[in-house]
Amino acid sequence: MRIPVFNDLFDAGTRFVERAGDLVTGGILEQDVRLGVTGLRRAGKTVFVTALVDNLLKAGRLPFLDVVSSGRFQAARLRPQPDPDVPRFDVERYLAALTGPEPHWPEPTRGIGQLRLSLRYRPNAVIKRTLQPVATLNLDIVDYPGEWLLDLPLLRQSFAEWSTLTLELAARPPRDELSAAWRGWLATVDPGAPAEEETARRGAALYTDYLHACRRSDNVLSLIQPGRFLEPGEWKDAPLLTFCPLPGEKRGRGSLWALMEERYEAYKAKVVRGFFSEHFARLDRQIVLIDVLGALNSGPAGMSDMKRALELSLEPFRHGSAGWLDWLFGTKIDRVLFAATKADHVASHQHNSLRHLLDRLVSDARSSIRFEGAQVDTMAIAALKCTETVVSEHEGRQLRCVRGVPIGRDRPTVLFPGEIPENADFPPGRDNPYKFMAFQPPDNLAHETRGLPHIRLDQALQFLLGDYLE
Amino acid sequence: MTDSRTREAEWVPPMELDPGRAAPVPAAEEEAIIAGTAPRTAGERLPALLAVDDRPKSRVGRWLVGAVAALVLVALGFDTWDLLNRSFATSVALGALVASLAVVAGGAAVAMLVGELRSLRRLRRIEALRQEAERLSGAVEPGEADRFAGSLTRLYAGRTDLAPSLERVKDHVTDAHDDHEVVRLLDREVMAPLDSRAYQMVLRASRDTAVATALSPAAVVDLAVVLWRNLKLVREIAALYGARPGYVGSLKLLRRMLANIAVAGVAESAHHVAVEALGGSLAAAISTRMGQGVINGLLTARVGVTAMHLCRPIAFGAENRPSLGQIRKELLSLPKQVL
Repeated sequence: MRIPVFNDLFDAGTRFVERAGDLVTGGILEQDVRLGVTGLRRAGKTVFVTALVDNLLKAGRLPFLDVVSSGRFQAARLRPQPDPDVPRFDVERYLAALTGPEPHWPEPTRGIGQLRLSLRYRPNAVIKRTLQPVATLNLDIVDYPGEWLLDLPLLRQSFAEWSTLTLELAARPPRDELSAAWRGWLATVDPGAPAEEETARRGAALYTDYLHACRRSDNVLSLIQPGRFLEPGEWKDAPLLTFCPLPGEKRGRGSLWALMEERYEAYKAKVVRGFFSEHFARLDRQIVLIDVLGALNSGPAGMSDMKRALELSLEPFRHGSAGWLDWLFGTKIDRVLFAATKADHVASHQHNSLRHLLDRLVSDARSSIRFEGAQVDTMAIAALKCTETVVSEHEGRQLRCVRGVPIGRDRPTVLFPGEIPENADFPPGRDNPYKFMAFQPPDNLAHETRGLPHIRLDQALQFLLGDYLE
Repeated sequence: MTDSRTREAEWVPPMELDPGRAAPVPAAEEEAIIAGTAPRTAGERLPALLAVDDRPKSRVGRWLVGAVAALVLVALGFDTWDLLNRSFATSVALGALVASLAVVAGGAAVAMLVGELRSLRRLRRIEALRQEAERLSGAVEPGEADRFAGSLTRLYAGRTDLAPSLERVKDHVTDAHDDHEVVRLLDREVMAPLDSRAYQMVLRASRDTAVATALSPAAVVDLAVVLWRNLKLVREIAALYGARPGYVGSLKLLRRMLANIAVAGVAESAHHVAVEALGGSLAAAISTRMGQGVINGLLTARVGVTAMHLCRPIAFGAENRPSLGQIRKELLSLPKQVL
């Protein structure tokens, strides 16, 4: 009988095609993209990642994300993360904190966390569409304490260089008062004297106190190195963390200086390099979150401190246009977004001024990244919109204000936080021109089905991932 | 926005204000306007138009047009009067017939004029909307985009096919979006589906024209087909976007259409010459006909794309500008389909 044979062959062929198709959709042709969420401490990394995940899972508030607005987006799901040795980013806990009966901001991050979000969509690009009608993009995100980011520039500094820079910075206001105790101790020790563990521990303790004081300070001080002194993570009480900068020239073997240098180098090799190569060396896209408003609150000193910290922290990343040889030589970051976070703390008509200010703040970093060939953009965003813009009258003038519940209070207030000039950071000749307040998360998010309300999160996603989702 | 000096003079220190006295004005205003309930005068709604339209017009030209129109009317009146007199002189029945014809003609002309004027009023709104959209793309003044959205919503109020997109825009717009973003959102959510439908219309029309002119035996048929299909296309597109093209736009379209008709005529006549020159074989005849069809199709597509440009309330941006590329590809594959 011929026809059944033919049919069998046909069936086998169909099965083969189906199986091949399963293989394709089951993992071989899935695309991975690592999004680097970088930002100094209190820039809002954790809330950003949480809001991003929630919005992609629910996809109800993303009109500017092309794949969603054109109806090609199918769904997103959380999947097991690729690196089994990294703790999971506990998105459910953070969401519960933000949307629970008593909404509050998540605790500052103390350790690293990773998350994989898989997006299924129908491709628009012709070649991709013929290869696979439904494509999958795995989005890997890492969250970590912002303090650690400032360890990265140490990779390029020797102990002597780092000591010089740190001492110089510590002697300048507003840090000179905070560092008085530690610098007093420095004056009494001789770096050339034989090394003693007790001295080293004393110095490290005083230096750590100084760093803690910087972190607590009213002026938002960003440049705090090394980050593990504040957030030790798994290295708590290790000898690696008992060193501090020392003045003067390099000293001989067996001296205090040599001990400190040895530990500094060990810190770099064991802690910083590991952190960098595991989490930052393979990034495809990067978003740099910057708490511009916090820096504005603390005046020109805070601004310049943040600018310096930002530029230093961006140095180690490999930016450049993506090429087809990248699989051989390692990837480069080909799109960088600088985002001024917490844009909901100002009225909506100020977003443009905020963005201009951010442009000025990152102009050097931006042009050097562009020079390397990567695309750069700036935006004013808010991962979670806590306020609304209202109009109030004051002495015959209509003022655009924000309304929300400030942290520590239970009633909403209307705040006029001061207006950012379009072409300057501070209005000339005014003391304390700004009063940006931190607001609580809104309390009506428990039954939100469209995703957390945000400002321009969708546009940020479109810039960062839009071309992957074509 | 006020300039920096006045702003400095009115500088207000940061402070907290009484929550009871704050009005969520933007949101409420937005709601009212997007729902289309806030009545506004033309000047208030469209401040841009008044400023833009003050370019000096040629007075002599206007006199000329007016005088010629009056002359034609007078001549027409004389002729009609003459005609009526003569027909009544011949017989009363003929006179009555001619008189009723004249009345019908006059009435129809008036009705057409009224219709034209009404569509013109609508069209004005489209042009004003366009200018407004263009201005908002650069401006940062808050609140005006809501008015723009309101005007657009009123324009498309009766359109059930657009109701879901308008509803979506209303859902998505928050108090945090600036004007540029609102316009972009309207562009993406409301205009983009219309664009793709208009593009399909253009594609269909150009294919029709191409096939019809390729198969038609006589130049007159070509002309008629091109004229009819072009007019129909423009009407379809105008109906889709809910507005007719303006004076200037109409002239531009008319010129394009006349050029198409001329090309259709010339191509048909040239066809014979070309076939002669190529040796009169069947292949030559077919290929010149095909070429002719493709040319006519492309020209029709050009009229269609121009009409899209002229009828769209928000001008096309750099990234969503309709291109002839797709249509050209489609038309070049046409000979294969027909043969």
